[in-house]
Amino acid sequence: MRKTTFPAVLATFVVCFAFWVLLTWKFTLQELAAGAVVSLAVALFTARFFIHEKAGWLFNPVKFFNLLGYWLFIFPVELVKANVDMAKRCFTGCTDINPGIVKVPVDLKSDYGQAALANSITLTPGTITMDIAEQDGQTYYYIHWIDVKADGEEAGEAIKGRLERGVRRFWE
Amino acid sequence: MAVRIIADVLILIGALFATAGTIGILKMPDAFSRMQASTCVSTLGMLGAMLGALLYAIFVMGSASAAVKIALIALLIFVTNPLGSHAIAKGAYRHGIRPDKPMEVDDFGRDFDE
Repeated sequence: MRKTTFPAVLATFVVCFAFWVLLTWKFTLQELAAGAVVSLAVALFTARFFIHEKAGWLFNPVKFFNLLGYWLFIFPVELVKANVDMAKRCFTGCTDINPGIVKVPVDLKSDYGQAALANSITLTPGTITMDIAEQDGQTYYYIHWIDVKADGEEAGEAIKGRLERGVRRFWE
Repeated sequence: MAVRIIADVLILIGALFATAGTIGILKMPDAFSRMQASTCVSTLGMLGAMLGALLYAIFVMGSASAAVKIALIALLIFVTNPLGSHAIAKGAYRHGIRPDKPMEVDDFGRDFDE
């Protein structure tokens, strides 16, 4: 079992407290104090499940702005492209599909990076990450793809090339 | 007034993609393809409606707390939606659900079915 470390507790506390403030949206001392107590209790119990790696990465400004750029520019562009493509298929009778499950190699090392990429792939319509497997030190995703055009490396480039380069800039 | 029109257009775009996703859910041939179509509803369909509601809350209602809550709803849907999709897709496959027309490429089945 992992130890509860101070940076992990602090990071969890900040996230919990931010959510408390945003949800209540009242700035009286009483509300804030109650929020702080609850957040601290939650952070003490859950920090070791929540934070597995370096807790302070978000305070690195380069990585923070890369994260913002990814979620504000790179990902929405891919999302809209995939959505328009999917909507076209749906409006033209759902016959123009060729579903299949491809196995795609991924070069991200960190757990969070892999999770972020897998979630991004699932959020784009037309691709769903089904499983992550590791073979001989190489990570593979199993991706259900609505319109299989290629296999292996090529499929990986077509599905997640841009997303993976974006994710690597903030989580290697 | 101009903001009102922009908000309405955004909600309409959301409704358009939600309609596309719904047609997909009804007409796609197998369970996995239906899940793919449903992603349309929960991404751009949701995002269009939420952005429209956000503009409306900020500029027409003038309520910061409503705006923050709408943004949080969008964020939470974005964070939790893929988790459900992974779990349902993998669970359905493991349970033995397969398309009527066999898939041309099926690496998952090749590696785990034997």
